[in-house]
Amino acid sequence: MKLNINGKDIDVEVEPGMPLLWVLRDELNMTGTKFGCGVSSCGACTVMIDGVATRTCTLPVGNAQNKKITTIEGIGSPSNLSAVQQAWVEHQVPQCGYCQSGMIMAAEALLDEIPNPTDDDIDAKMTNICRCGTYTRVRAAIHTAAKLRSQATDLLGSL
Amino acid sequence: MSKEKSKKKIFTRRNFMITGGVLTTGLVVGVAGLNAHVNKKIRKYSGKGMGEGSSINAWIRIAPDNKVTVAVGRAEMGQGVYTSIPMLIAEELEVPLENIEVIQPQPESPYANTFMMTQKEPNIFKAYELAEKVMAYLPMVMTGGSTSIPDGFNNMRYAGATAREMLKQAAADEWGIERSKVSTENGYVINNDTKAKLSYGDLSAAAREIDLAELPELKNKSDWKLIGTKAKRLDIPEKVDGTAEFGIDIRKEGMLYAAMIHPSVIGGKITGIKNKEEVEGMEGVKRVLLTDYGVAVVANNTWRAKNGALMLEVEEDNSNNQEISSATIQTSLEEILDQEPLATPDTEGDVDAILSDNNQVIESTYKVPYLAHAAMEPLNCTVLVNDDSAEVWVGHQSSSITQTAVSEVAGVSKKNVTVHTTYLGGGFGRRAESDFVLKATAVAKMMKGIPVQTTFTREEDMKNDMYRPAALSRFKGVVNPNGEIHAWDNMIAIQSVSNSAITRIDPSFAPKPKDDIATVEGAAHLPYIMKNKRVAFGDYKSPIQVGFWRSVGSSQNAFFTESFMDECAHAAGQDPYQFRLAKLGKTPRFKAVLEKVAELGNWGAQDGKYRGIALHKSFGSIVGEVCTITKKGDKEFSIDDFACAIDCGTYVNPDTIEAQMEGGIVFGLSAALYGQITWQNGSVVQSNFPDYDMVRMNVSPSIKVHIMENDHYPGGVGEPGTPPAAPALANALFAATGQRIRELPIMNAGYKFS
Repeated sequence: MKLNINGKDIDVEVEPGMPLLWVLRDELNMTGTKFGCGVSSCGACTVMIDGVATRTCTLPVGNAQNKKITTIEGIGSPSNLSAVQQAWVEHQVPQCGYCQSGMIMAAEALLDEIPNPTDDDIDAKMTNICRCGTYTRVRAAIHTAAKLRSQATDLLGSL
Repeated sequence: MSKEKSKKKIFTRRNFMITGGVLTTGLVVGVAGLNAHVNKKIRKYSGKGMGEGSSINAWIRIAPDNKVTVAVGRAEMGQGVYTSIPMLIAEELEVPLENIEVIQPQPESPYANTFMMTQKEPNIFKAYELAEKVMAYLPMVMTGGSTSIPDGFNNMRYAGATAREMLKQAAADEWGIERSKVSTENGYVINNDTKAKLSYGDLSAAAREIDLAELPELKNKSDWKLIGTKAKRLDIPEKVDGTAEFGIDIRKEGMLYAAMIHPSVIGGKITGIKNKEEVEGMEGVKRVLLTDYGVAVVANNTWRAKNGALMLEVEEDNSNNQEISSATIQTSLEEILDQEPLATPDTEGDVDAILSDNNQVIESTYKVPYLAHAAMEPLNCTVLVNDDSAEVWVGHQSSSITQTAVSEVAGVSKKNVTVHTTYLGGGFGRRAESDFVLKATAVAKMMKGIPVQTTFTREEDMKNDMYRPAALSRFKGVVNPNGEIHAWDNMIAIQSVSNSAITRIDPSFAPKPKDDIATVEGAAHLPYIMKNKRVAFGDYKSPIQVGFWRSVGSSQNAFFTESFMDECAHAAGQDPYQFRLAKLGKTPRFKAVLEKVAELGNWGAQDGKYRGIALHKSFGSIVGEVCTITKKGDKEFSIDDFACAIDCGTYVNPDTIEAQMEGGIVFGLSAALYGQITWQNGSVVQSNFPDYDMVRMNVSPSIKVHIMENDHYPGGVGEPGTPPAAPALANALFAATGQRIRELPIMNAGYKFS
């Protein structure tokens, strides 16, 4: 089976019913995406599929073929963090950090869809659980990331 | 008693640090033969757990390139300890925080958490008390009870200061001058006369051989450059790019993955597997194993293991405990309320006389349910068992409990068990238990030579927790016309947490329920002036496993006491804030916190919103909270805002403290709104987040935090934010509706929040 993950084509030999989460974690050792509940409730396993925030613990890998899969490993590197990641550092969002890969992926997808989200947009789109309770900082970081993204767009436009 | 046996016995006495209990003679026996020079040993400790290189003491190693490695014997579970401990060291060592790399040492004596047991400000560089020696000897290396800073505040600064002076002496020797003629800055020793510099990295090999005649003076607070600042956390970069390694992320060559099922009734036992061959024939499944704890399916992938586990058909002995249900528990707790108390730890005056004389008695009974920890990272543990050694990779609150658990099940001596402590995807007390390490080791022992990662599904995690116990709390109060509390009579019915938790490790050392201070923490010795009071409790005996849950006894007792304080204020016809304030004349730190939080929360504002206030001390810190809500419809509210003031004495990293208050409040709100574990036929009803929900973004309030300025010794911050959240909200709901919330979770009363 061929998957496109973070811009790379990857071959995996698994049963098509295996959730994408476990293909990433246990077959490809891409452990940034987390297991939290197994029933699409908590959002720890969120990745983007064709740009849409998707919970992968119940998504059969067969359904992710011929689509662009973006995981936490694909949005930035330590020397080149995405705007969302930068904002996350600026606001010191994570505590234990376990839910944050999913939280960040949900935020990336939200900002792709709504570049300047209101608090109501954030309430509607950010449905992940953070047991440490980092929500106030997640909200603040999303607003900061929106600004960072629009500054970057302005800069590109002026070139 | 053999030496090995006596060690084991002492090891199990973690009740003392958690409940603040007393040292008994049983403990002292095991100290015979303790190395009398353990203190000196710590100063000169080589830092075995830190690997190769020039370790100056047990905490600090400096490489030739001037990189500093700091061994932090505390677990990073989101509370920021991988930053706050290095801050204490870096302040005195005079190195940039960014140059520090944190590692987890093996569970060895210097890293023992002595404060947990003594609740006294330690200085292990000066001398150990007997109780501290015991903790070091065992050693008890543990994270919990909000003690990392109270335990480390002196010790870690001395670790940095002594290392600095040793480096200075090494440089002075090199230059042939007095130590007083050199100074330090940013990882270098400077010759005050010539301005020549030597790097710590160049000096560390010589420095470690130096004996200091006396302990150096610590810096004055006014000279701190790092402590007290919002230093950026060292673990955050890894936690935004997916590279932070949790226990569940461990991947080893040839590793296999296991899933387990447990007996379906508490205290039951799985006695046989009906379809072993069928499950072993499933895709990717390697073995199906019957262990003492349940059945494990070992496969080449967690999902395949979990599928195998779901297919299992087993034989069970469930003859006991089937009668346990939430209804029978409630009946038992009610009976206990009417019986003679087991203990009465706080009395003043003559409550009975006042209650019988006065017919204006306010009487209320409050109720809370069992709660699961539900850390985001489902419990898991990776173990490799070899013939005479073992390795374990796990996010655990205690490296020493982990080591002992692996040693006991694998049959390998403790010194041959290597512990790799990863980041914890949440702890909250759940990861201080040994059960998941014992189970994973039992599986790995049957798969000798192969690293096996055992992961518990969310359902198995939630149904096999060590729960915060259910409790009832009955109050009888009499308030004078002038607003004085004339009588305060409080009786609590609850299962003893410390008794249950320690019994799991060694029944002979479990504290008796009557001695369990956790039961009444936050209910006894309230700061308010009360003329006559009695705080008593009775013990509910149950096979249900209960355990330490973020803020322990305070998690329910703050809801009970601060709600009833509101009832008293209402009965007196007084403002709940003014009513409390008038009773804090003898406790100025409480008074200052209450005044501050009232100001921060706009108490008394006429803005169409409703407010509730609560004040509570736990783990050495006083926290006041004001909750502001808006009525959106019949029984529909938004929780707009929490104001929080904390007096935790001297503080290390204010940003971390703010984060802990924010998180602690949300943790308390999740329990207040939704949290309940219920029982039916000896089993837990709830299984996953859809029926054990959490506060999410849409319900989470905005939160502002104020940290009080003073010079008191540090208190804890990991837990104290949680207890006032429920009563602050419940009191706000009373202000809005006139309905008193006396039972959690609030959703059961039909309230909705958005």
